[in-house]
Amino acid sequence: MRPENYEAQRQPPSYDYELNIGPNHPGIEGNYAFKLRLNGDRVIAGRADAGYLHRGFEKLMEGRLWIQNLAITPRICVPDPVPMEVSYCLAVEDLCGLVVPERAQWLRVMQLELSRIAAHLFIFGGHAATTGMYTPMFWGIADRDLILDLFEEMTGGRVYHIYNIPGGVRRDLPDGFGERVTNTLDYLESRLPDYDNLLFTNQVFVHRARGCGPISQQQALEWGVTGPNLRATGLKFDVRRDDPYLVYDQLEFEIPTEAPGDAWARALVRRREIKESIRIIRQVVARLPTLAGPIRCPIPNPLAWNVPAGSTYTRVESSKGELAWYVVSDGGERPYRTHVRGPSQMHAVQVLEQLAIGCRIEDVAQIMFSLDACPPEVDR
Amino acid sequence: MTHIDQVPTPGAPLPVEIGVKAGAARTNPFARVFDELVRFAQSRSLFMLHYCTGCGAVELPPAMTSRFDMERLGIQPMVSPRQADILLITGYVSVKTLKRVILTYEQMNSPKYVIGICSCTVNGGMYWQSYATAKKLNDYMPVDIYIAGCMPRPEAVIEGLRGLIENIRTGRADAWKDYYRRYDYYLGNQQRLFGADWQTSTDVIAEARHYDLFGPATLGAHTALLEQHQRPLEALEMRIEIPELMRRRSRSDQDGTAQ
Repeated sequence: MRPENYEAQRQPPSYDYELNIGPNHPGIEGNYAFKLRLNGDRVIAGRADAGYLHRGFEKLMEGRLWIQNLAITPRICVPDPVPMEVSYCLAVEDLCGLVVPERAQWLRVMQLELSRIAAHLFIFGGHAATTGMYTPMFWGIADRDLILDLFEEMTGGRVYHIYNIPGGVRRDLPDGFGERVTNTLDYLESRLPDYDNLLFTNQVFVHRARGCGPISQQQALEWGVTGPNLRATGLKFDVRRDDPYLVYDQLEFEIPTEAPGDAWARALVRRREIKESIRIIRQVVARLPTLAGPIRCPIPNPLAWNVPAGSTYTRVESSKGELAWYVVSDGGERPYRTHVRGPSQMHAVQVLEQLAIGCRIEDVAQIMFSLDACPPEVDR
Repeated sequence: MTHIDQVPTPGAPLPVEIGVKAGAARTNPFARVFDELVRFAQSRSLFMLHYCTGCGAVELPPAMTSRFDMERLGIQPMVSPRQADILLITGYVSVKTLKRVILTYEQMNSPKYVIGICSCTVNGGMYWQSYATAKKLNDYMPVDIYIAGCMPRPEAVIEGLRGLIENIRTGRADAWKDYYRRYDYYLGNQQRLFGADWQTSTDVIAEARHYDLFGPATLGAHTALLEQHQRPLEALEMRIEIPELMRRRSRSDQDGTAQ
C-alpha cells in the first residue's frame, strides 16, 4: 500500500479487545493464566487467573502425620523446593524445642544455596527466552543439571529431595563430595563471564529489559514484594541477614541490590546472587570437615508423635522471596492448622496486575518471568 | 469423582469396530506397505503440546534441551494444539485444569496420543485425598502410556516416548479411537465431575462418524444429556471491567473526541 493512499482509520475510542494468555501458552510460566484488556498492543488492564494448580495443601496437611507432611511440603514450589522443607522443619523444631546439631545446620545451608543457584539458573534462562534469546535457556538448564546431579548424590532425588527431617538431615555426605561440589562451583563461576557476554551485556536484552515493569521502593513495600524483586528496588533486605536462621550469621556474604527496580535490575540481582551463593557454599565446604558429630538429634517415634501445643512462624529466604510457615499444633499427632506465606502469591497476582497496565503486549511475559513467580506456589 | 463401580474391569472386551472400510483396504496388496510407511513417518516426527499441567513439567526442560535432547527422537515442543500430536499431562490435574485439558485434547487432530507423566495421573499420587484434583486420568480421556514416578527422571520420560514411538510404528497406539468408540463413558465421567451441563465446542459424535469409529457405545445416556443441555455459542464479551476507564470513555464519547 502506498503511503499517500493510506488513511488511518479512526477507531471509536472504546475499541478494546480482550486476550487470554495461558494456561496453555509458551509465554506463561507454568500452568497459569492472565487475561488482558488491550487497546492496540497496549495493555490497559490485566487480571490474573490462578487456581489451575490448586491442590489444597493446607487442608491436606491437617489430615497427615507431622512426619508424613514432609513428603508434600517440597511439592508446593517445584523449581525451588528446598526452602519449603527446611522452613517446615524449622517450624516443627521450634514447636518441639529440638536443638539441631551444628553439622546438620551447615548441611542445610549448603542444600539451600545449591537450590538457590539452580532456581536462578532456571529462571534467567526463561527470562531470556521471553526476549527471544533461546541460547541462555539451553545454557542455564544444562548448568542447572550439574547441580541436580549433586543433589542426586547428596539426597537421592533430582528435583524433590526430602533431605531434611525435623531434628536434622537424613544422611551425611558421601565421601569426596566436597571436592565434587568445589569442581562444579569452579565450573559455574567460570561460566558467569560467558553469561554476562551472552545475556547481561547483550543489547537486545538490555534494551528490552531496561525500564520494563518498574517497581518503586514505596510500591514494593506496599505490595508485599520480597526477595530479589525487593532488592532490585534498592532496599537491602534479606531474611538471611536481617533475621538469621540456621548458621547464616556465621557466614560472610553480600546482599546485592540494584536501584532501578525494573526487569533488568531484577535479572541483575539474581545474576549477582549466584555469585554470592557460590561464595557461601565454598565457606560451607571449607567448614564441614571441622564439624564432626551427629547429623540429627533423637526424635520420638515419628508415627506417634504428639507435637506440643503452640503456634510458630518461621521464615526463610527462598530464591523467590520471603517464605514462611505458620504452624499451629493442638498437641496432637497432626497439625491443627498450617499456612504458607509464599512470595509468588504477591508477585504473580497483585504486582503483575499492576505492572501490566500501560506496558506493551510483548512485555507481559517478560514481566512475569522477571518477577520469578512460581504458579504452583500461588495456588498451593 | 470416580466411583469404584464405574471403573471398567480389566480385560473387558471393547466394542467392535463396525467400519467396513478396513476390510476393503486389505484387498489392495499395496495398502499394508503404505500403512506401514505412514506409521513409520508418523512415529519419526512428533510434535508435543507444551502444556505444563503440574510439577512433572520441571523435568521436561532438561529432557528437551542439550543434555537428554528429545529432538534426536524427532520430538519437538509445539505451542498450538491443532498442530500437536502428543498431549503430555505432566502431573496432577486439578478440576479447573482438567476442563482445559479436555478442551485441548478435543481440539487436537487425530491421530493423537496422550502420555500421563507422574504418579498423580495414574491414581492420584500423593494427592489421593485432595478435594481439588482428578484422580485417574484415563477416566476422562484415553491414555496411551503412563510414566510413573514422582517425578519421573528425564531418562524415564525419554524411555516412555520411545515406547510410544514403537507403539505408533507397530500400530498399537490407537487409544484415541477409544474416545470415539466409548464417548458416552468418558463424557459420563466428565459430567460427574463438572456437572450435567458440561459441554465442549467440539462435536465429537460427528467426528466419530467422520473417522468411521461410530460404535454402539458412542451414544448413550450421557450424550443424550449433552443434547438436552445444548445451547448456542455465547457471544464474546468483555469480562475485565474498569469502572474509572468506562466513565472516562463514555465522557469522551459524548464529547465526540477521540483519545
